[in-house]
Amino acid sequence: MNKINGVYDLITPPAFPSHKRQPMTAKHMKKLKQAENLAKLFIGLTAATIVGLAPTLYADESSATTPVPTNSAPAVASPAAPADKPVKKSLTGAELYSIHCNRCHPERYPTERTAAQWKTIMLHMQVRASIPGKQARMILEYLQENSGR
Amino acid sequence: MKKTIKNRRLMLGLVAAGAAGISFPPHTNAAVSDADFDALKQMVLQLNSQVQSLRQTNQLEQQTHAQDVQQLKELQAKLAATQQTAEDAEQKSMAAATAQAQPPLRAPIDEATVNHNFQILGDAEVQYAQADKQNGAFLLADFAPIFLYRGGDNVLFEAGFDFGLQNSGGTIGGSAGYTTTVNLSFAQLDYVMNDYMTLCAGDLLLPLGTYSERGAGWLNKIPDDPLAVDLIPGSGVGAELRGAVPLGDSGKLLNYAVYGVNGPGSTDGTGAASSLDVNGNVGIWSDGNTTANLHRHPTGGGRLAVFLPFKPHYDLEVGVSAQAGEWDNAGNHLYTAGVLDASLHLGSSLEVKGEYIIDRYGSDAAGTIQQSGWWVQAGYKLAGLNLELPGINNVELLGRYDSYRDGMATTTDRYTLGYIYYLSNALLFEGDYEFYNSTDSTVPATQLILQMSYGF
Repeated sequence: MNKINGVYDLITPPAFPSHKRQPMTAKHMKKLKQAENLAKLFIGLTAATIVGLAPTLYADESSATTPVPTNSAPAVASPAAPADKPVKKSLTGAELYSIHCNRCHPERYPTERTAAQWKTIMLHMQVRASIPGKQARMILEYLQENSGR
Repeated sequence: MKKTIKNRRLMLGLVAAGAAGISFPPHTNAAVSDADFDALKQMVLQLNSQVQSLRQTNQLEQQTHAQDVQQLKELQAKLAATQQTAEDAEQKSMAAATAQAQPPLRAPIDEATVNHNFQILGDAEVQYAQADKQNGAFLLADFAPIFLYRGGDNVLFEAGFDFGLQNSGGTIGGSAGYTTTVNLSFAQLDYVMNDYMTLCAGDLLLPLGTYSERGAGWLNKIPDDPLAVDLIPGSGVGAELRGAVPLGDSGKLLNYAVYGVNGPGSTDGTGAASSLDVNGNVGIWSDGNTTANLHRHPTGGGRLAVFLPFKPHYDLEVGVSAQAGEWDNAGNHLYTAGVLDASLHLGSSLEVKGEYIIDRYGSDAAGTIQQSGWWVQAGYKLAGLNLELPGINNVELLGRYDSYRDGMATTTDRYTLGYIYYLSNALLFEGDYEFYNSTDSTVPATQLILQMSYGF
């Protein structure tokens, strides 16, 4: 039995040799047509969900910004004054941890490993997930500060 | 109080002086009558009595004053003790607050004596499957460790293995018992050249799409793989440059990877269409004597992707990857493949991802064969509904559609409904039910898979 990425595949024949192929019948064509219609419906629903949620997504992001504190008097404030610009906040190690880890797997708790273990694991993740070195170091710092030991 | 005492002493002095003056008048020769003498005597006696009375009063007042002074000293001592107690309490309170605000002190890591460079990650699965018109079975017990060894800050060796079981008997010519299979999934040496580039060499998980790198049993939310990933190689022996370039300070990245590997091979060395072996050609024969690429030229490939995080748990990643190179021993035919991948997270509950895969290869008799397939998978964690029901927040519902076109008249479409029950963030109880539409009569109509998966 074939195994694909560690999982035995009950379904896929080893090489799909061509002499076993059967000609397409009308029944098969009908099934395929139904399958394609269902697939289109699935894609349509997914796209609609994404489009529907997109405004909410951007709205949440803009509301998360913080206005710049200013010492200037209100009288001199203008539409182009710094107070109207959002803060360009740099991401913290905790935020980068949430952003990157969740791309591939459920987040692991920092307390699950020791500070020394996180150093080796983070180097592995830096390579595997293609995380820039600076961001990887910030994530590592967060994990080590909150590690199990 | 002191002022009063002074006044009284002054009055007492004046009275005494007056009395003395009266008592001892200057000697005169004037005659004094008895009546005057008696009156004077009476007066002196009265004054003497008053002086005695004043002395007694003064003594009493002095005693009272001494008692007051003593009480005052006692009160001052009590006040000092109370103030000291208050200061001690304040210092203790400040010390406690400081201790809470500061992280606990950690023992420094002894880099020289502690061997923390070696680490094991990985996953393990136990699976039960039952296909239509077949007997159900506990299908596998799989153990897939990843060994990591870090040499300093920039060097990492990592190797992934896959241990499994399979029957020795049950077929014609089979023997009793079972065999244990061990596969080397990948083994690579990584050198982090700088913040933006890493050199990898060895048996690499290829970045053709993302599934090969993110599809280990614990990472894949559905127990089996999408059908179309069989169309492309999952790994290859060679070298790779990979990394990421930040696009601003908001976490956006441009990911890249370029690689050269031996490339696909032919199971029998010929260019027959059915001989394509996308995962073969590791550079050494099973007899151990022949070490060479099966064909003349290596295969090249790469991936380019943008990762756009909007905020934690909200991100979009889109990538395109491709590979091209010879596959038959004579080097007469090319195998080329392309993958378009995308992944979207909207909050910590909703994930949608998928890939479109296409490949094309030449053959001796069948000409150019084009294969394709795609898959899209969506998952929603019910915790996002904020329902106060027991256990419901541990459930994630899944759906997947995938298709497979082998370019030789076989097409298969599959619809999968599944779930995950998170016993913890790393221990997953998964299940799915699959519906097939296939031109291949050996493919069952339905299949049930249950799996316990643990990532460590």
